[in-house]
Amino acid sequence: MPIMVNLDVMMAKRKISAGELAERVDITPANLSILKNNKAKAVRFSTLEAICRELDCQPGDVLEYVKDE
Amino acid sequence: MNNKWNSEKSLFLSRALTIASLCTSVASLFCIPVITEWYDAVSDEEPIHVVLNIVLYLSAILGIAALWQLKKLLDRFAKQEVFIAENAVCFRKIAWCCFGVALIWFVLMYWRFLAFFVAFAAAFAGLLLRVMKNMLEAAVKLREENDYTI
Repeated sequence: MPIMVNLDVMMAKRKISAGELAERVDITPANLSILKNNKAKAVRFSTLEAICRELDCQPGDVLEYVKDE
Repeated sequence: MNNKWNSEKSLFLSRALTIASLCTSVASLFCIPVITEWYDAVSDEEPIHVVLNIVLYLSAILGIAALWQLKKLLDRFAKQEVFIAENAVCFRKIAWCCFGVALIWFVLMYWRFLAFFVAFAAAFAGLLLRVMKNMLEAAVKLREENDYTI
């Protein structure tokens, strides 16, 4: 997938665990794991909004476009 | 008491009918020589019991294979595993069994033209099953997309 989710980096910066973030964003830890491991096919705006709110960041901080080789 | 007809009972009926058909098909394997000899005895045309034996045995084997796939499919439905890639594979196998039967009966047309109708029915069933397989593949893709939307 050319869109990469860099949640790990932001979570480390904010010193927040996966379980805590999942709870605050109101998604299951399994779904957060799918997102973190770049297995997700799409992200809802409401989820992205909650992630940005909880991590105090911009969508560009967690999403990155990587050109396909 | 709840006596209403529901999807669970419908699935049970389908599974029971499939298993009954499977048992009947296996049992019919032992009757094929008797049936073909009886056919030759009542038919006015040239005897074809050897060809008919081959055709019926091959058709029965393909039929049993198709019914076995159908049983596997219904077992997965019972476990709520509907939109999965394995089910599309089952549909594909059943469709190929139907096409196989169609081909066998198409060859039999050389001796008996009436075999055309069985060949046509089997080919048509195979075609319908292939379309269903394509639909199920699309549904699997949609389900995966939905499951992986966070």
